[in-house]
Amino acid sequence: MSNDTPETRDKTGRFLKRAAEKAHDLHTVSNEGVHPMAKILFGWTEARHIGAIIFWGIGLLSALLIVIDLFVNRHDYFSFANATGFYGLYGFAAFAFVVLMGWPLGNLLRRGENYYGDAGGPPADVDPDMPQAPDTAHMTYEGDE
Amino acid sequence: MPAFLTALSPGWLLIFAGIVAIFLPMRRVRQGITIAAPLIGILLLVLADQNVNHLSASVLGLDLVLYRVDGLSFVFGLAFLLAALLNAIYAWHTDDRVQDGMALAYAGAAIAATFSGDLMTLFIFWEITAVTSVFMVLAAGTRASYFASMRYLGIQVLSGVLLLAGAAYVYNNTGSLSMKAFVSLSEPGAMLIFIALGIKAAFPFMHNWLQDSYPKASVVGAVVLSAFTTKLAVYAFIRMFPGQDALIWIGAVMTVFPVFFAVIENDLRKVLAYSLNNQVGFMICAIGLGTAGVGNALALNGATAHAFVHIIYKGLLFMSMGAVLYRTGTTKASELGGLYRSMPWTALFCIIGAMSISAFPLFSGFVAKSLTMSAVSHEGLTIVWLMLLFASAGVLEHSGIKIPYFAFFGHDSGRRVKEAPFNMLLAMGMGAFICIAVGIPAIIPGLGYEWLYNLLPFREEAMNYQPFTFDHILTQMQLLVLAIFAFVMLKRFGLYPPEKPGTILDTDWVYRKIGFGLAQWLGTVWGKLGPAMTAVFFGITGRAYERIEDAFSPRGELARGALTGAMAIWTAALLGLVLLLGFIAVG
Repeated sequence: MSNDTPETRDKTGRFLKRAAEKAHDLHTVSNEGVHPMAKILFGWTEARHIGAIIFWGIGLLSALLIVIDLFVNRHDYFSFANATGFYGLYGFAAFAFVVLMGWPLGNLLRRGENYYGDAGGPPADVDPDMPQAPDTAHMTYEGDE
Repeated sequence: MPAFLTALSPGWLLIFAGIVAIFLPMRRVRQGITIAAPLIGILLLVLADQNVNHLSASVLGLDLVLYRVDGLSFVFGLAFLLAALLNAIYAWHTDDRVQDGMALAYAGAAIAATFSGDLMTLFIFWEITAVTSVFMVLAAGTRASYFASMRYLGIQVLSGVLLLAGAAYVYNNTGSLSMKAFVSLSEPGAMLIFIALGIKAAFPFMHNWLQDSYPKASVVGAVVLSAFTTKLAVYAFIRMFPGQDALIWIGAVMTVFPVFFAVIENDLRKVLAYSLNNQVGFMICAIGLGTAGVGNALALNGATAHAFVHIIYKGLLFMSMGAVLYRTGTTKASELGGLYRSMPWTALFCIIGAMSISAFPLFSGFVAKSLTMSAVSHEGLTIVWLMLLFASAGVLEHSGIKIPYFAFFGHDSGRRVKEAPFNMLLAMGMGAFICIAVGIPAIIPGLGYEWLYNLLPFREEAMNYQPFTFDHILTQMQLLVLAIFAFVMLKRFGLYPPEKPGTILDTDWVYRKIGFGLAQWLGTVWGKLGPAMTAVFFGITGRAYERIEDAFSPRGELARGALTGAMAIWTAALLGLVLLLGFIAVG
């Protein structure tokens, strides 16, 4: 009987144990209710000045894409689409138009939640162990800040 | 394969399995069936020979082709089967016999309709999709969902009735029920079928059933609904109305108008319903290109590819919102936010779905939508092309940014919930995998987007098309990145409209308010007028009866007086008159 066997088994065992612990940690929610994967995948969204970083980052990327366009001779079927930055400006304008139209359209078309009669609650097949929803009556709505 | 297996349509298999599932109380056995049936279906479909009638029948003198596979129906059938598989996995945590069974039968009906070779078979399965799918809405069990399901059923059955009428018209005129492309809408029956398909595809002004019912369906139900009905209509349009000019404009309008509703809508599942409308618009527009009755090969490939990828990514997005609904009990943007802390995996899969639908390069939407956009520009349709490009930026707004941002990021709602159940994550993960696997370049020949292009009905044209050119990636990235920049900027300067709870009026206001009001008013009027009219009627008839009685009864006018036999004399006089008239007529 060699002495190597238990040693290897022990090592493998320790490795497996550690891996199992690691895997367990990765789906054990912290006391504050934060999933550990949230830190790994989206932790960066909580960085300081992230709003400004994203704003300037996307702005720079946009500028870069238009600058690249200066040096590329594109062959679109429509001649106007060959203009430098056509797609970018069109996308920007279309997006801004759609969003800004949300103001007048919202005022024009939005009615009470029970306009067509009782809007009803959640469907029957939601989680039976659902936690109590936080008080939403006094909540500020997204964008209201 | 044995003969009976080659004749077995995957759709029929799923319908049969669905009916069995409804009566199976053993939960895991039933769910095993709902997962196994689509898998076996995929196997049957892959092994089936194409362009052969596998099963036909002659019923009451009608020649029916019950099961036939060709290049076009193969892609749709495969997408439906994949969707059915993902849906079954997604529903693993539930225990609802009716929902499990009906979902499977619904998928089966859509698949069987896809593989039908004639209008009558199509009609039968068309109606079965309507009847089975309504249970997805009913499963929610709320009062609002009950009313929505009845409106849904009414409109779906109307579509079926129109299809049947059209089919009868076609049969009467041509003596054949076989499915063929109509060259003109003025052909007999064409218009009826066109409207029937249009209702199912949710054409503008016929679209409200979709936004009405899908957001009121159960968690699992909405996911199931998102895959089949509208894409079945898209399939039928490709089959019967390729190159129909009207479709170009209908499709273009369909891509644009839902964008505005989606921006102001608060319920994120309803946003997805509008987004579905917008995506189907791209497919409808593509079908309209080309020669009437033939279509444009590039565009028809585009519509088919778009339908395939759309079934997967829209299912994925509905799944992610379903997971949110399951854990939090709401999908209202105004009550959500910051959920990435609790549901990071769901958030990740939702973002993958969002990037796919926004057509980011390397995601599935890009390789499919490119075909359509190229076809539109090749045809030189400037305004339509600009509308579709506008809608592409709009998709990014409501599905690409709004859905993940307001659910998982943005203002923290303070909700701390559990991550979605493992089966939901598994289904979403598989959907996300397909979104990326189909979207990436063909680094290994035959895989990546080439895998999908290889399946398309016009294979040669598809394989000659290059989605990953430098120009194309640059222009698409410009469109998307600058649109995102617009979002960041509007958000930063406080110009983005806040998400507020409320009902957004759409054209269904016409029948849900005016129509309903009118019906109620008529009811009230009838309630008052009815008895009044009855009283008048009885008054008049009563008086008339009294007069007649006064004249003819034994105690009446004619029975009195000296000449008691007055009745007999009168009768004799009348008979004499008739005799005289008879003689004159003969003479």
